[in-house]
Amino acid sequence: MTHTAEREAPASAWSALVPLARGVLWGLAGFGLGVALIAVLRAGAGRSAWSLELSITFGYALGIVGWLFGVGVWERWGREWFGLSTKEGPTGWQRYFAFTLDHKVIGIQYLATFLLLFLLAGLFAVLIRAQLLSPEGAVMGEGTYNQVMSLHGIIMVAVAVASIIGGFGNYFVPILIGAEDVAFPRVNALSFWLVPPVAVLLLTAQAVGGWDSGWTAYPPLSLQNASGQLFFSLAIITFGLSSILGGLNFLTTIIYMRAPGMTWGRLPIFVWSMFSAAILALLFTQFFAAAMLMLILDRIADTSFFKAAEGGEPILYQHIFWFYSHPAVYIFVLPGLGLTLEILAHFSRKPLFAYRWAVGGFLGIVGLSAIVWAHHMFVSGMDKRLIAPFLVTTEIISVPTGLIFLSALGTLWMGRLWIRTPMLFAMGVVFNFLIGGVTGIFLADAPTDVNLSDTYFVVAHFHYTIIGAEIFALMGGIYYWFPKMTGRMYDERLGQLHFWLMFLGFNLTFLPMFWLGLHGMNRRIATYTPDLQGVNIFVSVMGFILAASFLIFVFNLLRSLVWGAQAGADPWRARTLEWQVSSPPPVENFPAPPVVSGHPYDYGVPGAPAHGVVGMAGGSDEVSR
Amino acid sequence: MKRDLVAAGALWLILTAIGELLAVFVDFYPLAKADKGEDIEHAFRVLVYFAVPVFTMVVAVLVYSFLRQHTTEFPTDDGPPLQGRGSIPLAWFVITSALTLAIAIYPGLVSIPNIFGDEPNPDLVVEVEGMQWTWFVSYPQHDVARVSELVLPVDRTVRFNITSRDVLHSFWIPGFLMKIDAVPGRTTTISLKPTKTGSYQTDPNLRVQCAELCGLFHSKMRIPVSVVSDEEFAAWLEEQAGAADAAPLSEETEAADALSGGIER
Repeated sequence: MTHTAEREAPASAWSALVPLARGVLWGLAGFGLGVALIAVLRAGAGRSAWSLELSITFGYALGIVGWLFGVGVWERWGREWFGLSTKEGPTGWQRYFAFTLDHKVIGIQYLATFLLLFLLAGLFAVLIRAQLLSPEGAVMGEGTYNQVMSLHGIIMVAVAVASIIGGFGNYFVPILIGAEDVAFPRVNALSFWLVPPVAVLLLTAQAVGGWDSGWTAYPPLSLQNASGQLFFSLAIITFGLSSILGGLNFLTTIIYMRAPGMTWGRLPIFVWSMFSAAILALLFTQFFAAAMLMLILDRIADTSFFKAAEGGEPILYQHIFWFYSHPAVYIFVLPGLGLTLEILAHFSRKPLFAYRWAVGGFLGIVGLSAIVWAHHMFVSGMDKRLIAPFLVTTEIISVPTGLIFLSALGTLWMGRLWIRTPMLFAMGVVFNFLIGGVTGIFLADAPTDVNLSDTYFVVAHFHYTIIGAEIFALMGGIYYWFPKMTGRMYDERLGQLHFWLMFLGFNLTFLPMFWLGLHGMNRRIATYTPDLQGVNIFVSVMGFILAASFLIFVFNLLRSLVWGAQAGADPWRARTLEWQVSSPPPVENFPAPPVVSGHPYDYGVPGAPAHGVVGMAGGSDEVSR
Repeated sequence: MKRDLVAAGALWLILTAIGELLAVFVDFYPLAKADKGEDIEHAFRVLVYFAVPVFTMVVAVLVYSFLRQHTTEFPTDDGPPLQGRGSIPLAWFVITSALTLAIAIYPGLVSIPNIFGDEPNPDLVVEVEGMQWTWFVSYPQHDVARVSELVLPVDRTVRFNITSRDVLHSFWIPGFLMKIDAVPGRTTTISLKPTKTGSYQTDPNLRVQCAELCGLFHSKMRIPVSVVSDEEFAAWLEEQAGAADAAPLSEETEAADALSGGIER
């Protein structure tokens, strides 16, 4: 099987930088144009030409258009609008640095970008834990701490939104449903290339004073602090656009691009979870962006949406913010849970238990997630009549979540558990998410939440759901699909070592935080009362072990990328379509359109047909399972 | 298969028994020093009792499945093809729904009026204003205004009227297990009754701690709380009234206090 990308040798290493450099140049030109426009208008009104936040906002708005066109929208898309022929993108390794339409390349671009951001924000977490070694703060002042904590928060939220969805969603959803690509490949590339400006904004916010309001950016604080807050808001709007376009693309792809015979009842469960997350991303992300736009207008245009002194309402912001940000936690976690169920079925050698109920669980969460947001606001000062209904809806969401647990446990029950690194991570998700879910009940219950809200109990809870479920699933997914994406096998021993260090490090870091929350430690603090120091030292040391486990991960990945054994098409002998094509898959995914005639997880079912048959593909011996 | 169910069930029961014993006898609960704090602590315990069997069931299945059959080589055969299409998922759905509704009602809905309700005729009204980065406490019934410590008589009902001058803060007394945000432009309230005497010096959880991120010195936005006898409270009020007469506070000195006051800035 030839791999188109490897046919041509790259002309020169420097040529990879050309589109990026052009993007930066056009972006700067756009920025200059925006700033000049404001300068002319202001000068005309007799004011100073430069107004920091106003000028930057308009400069950025035009700058991002310049960046996108420079980096590839013009060459690969825009030329068509003027009757010109579009240019082909580069091949070989350089396509990873270019505006490329291949969903697999975009998947790798997402995965690599967000793994780098994950490691960076992990370093911020190490700084946070170093600070909390001492009650008076061991390494930095309060101002720096607040900014490091805010950066850690928002970068990790971005990682949670986009690593599985952007990475595995892009790479594997089209293959899992038997499609050649996503429905809108150019929109797909566009949504990835909106991400670099987000990272640049967040990491350069320091130049204008950074911001210290966490990832939640509650006003009035976020109306009074340094101009880094503006960078944050612009970054969120940009990232939100990327997220909405991604959601739209996945929905369309899953609805319209399924191979013949790929009925809704035969969709791999990971695709169902992506479908659910895509609905949430498409419907809700705009609310976060709207909240950010209102913050920006309050800052630069003298509106007063959230200024109490001028008739605005700070609590309004929290409603809009959580109207997105609660569904967002399901955008984070649903694809991780889908991936976990996927791995559990293949490595238990059993059908996915109660498949239809699990799908019902995903869709039930999608529906309910829209009516639970105010449980983040039980002590916000909102009308107390809102507490009871949101308590009830929030508790009810544990029923569809319970169905996903039923599916996981029923699949494991009496299974032939094949203990490989992906399976360990999937089982880790079940354990961690159990703790995350059970402790969530204490926070949904308004009377106990009165004490627990804004304490380390909450910090522990959401790290259990986001690291414990999503990041563990991400790691499991990387080990699971590494042989498919690279054609090489990772080192099993190092993989299992990574799992055990990460699993123990994670639990020993975050379990004691529940205790800290119950004993008077509130969140987002640079200093604390001395009676809590002992437990904090323990948490910090365990946190350092958790961080160190990722060194093994990175070493394993890089080493196996070069020296790993050839993996073959189907090292896991799994039934789903991606394992029926070569590793890595050809550019067009399937040499001929696959025909789907069976369920993806019918392991051990007598007389069950193969899930899918890939005509004329390599590895025809594999399709009969 | 039947033997496996019995064995896993036994594992579940044993783990549950251990878990419930730990939940009853190990003291990992916060120590409440107010009436509503005690109610919240009770609600917390009830939820723990519910959570233990749920937790142990998942752990029992996870552990038992692993012990029953796992391999590091590719398995020689597939597992039993249990599809989960029968009555098990329905039973699971019904049971989890019933459990969920049960805890939503108790300790959830049942406790809301008590925890969130306001005392209409409190023995003491305390007005609190949050400001970057300290708290000002006033006792309008006793002409004590804008002090940066909170002193309360034991076994008397108190209603706090809370607001903020600048950004969001959250008025949290960890020792009472109660909090509510301080919102500029609004007055929020909580009512409670301290039930044990004590002070910040002996119990660090007797403090007013800002729990909503409010900028630079957020973590140090805390003032001490003392719960004292009626006599001590009366004496303290008198002392404060005298001090206030001697040096009436201006806006400037308040701002200076805000930066230097509070605890151990």
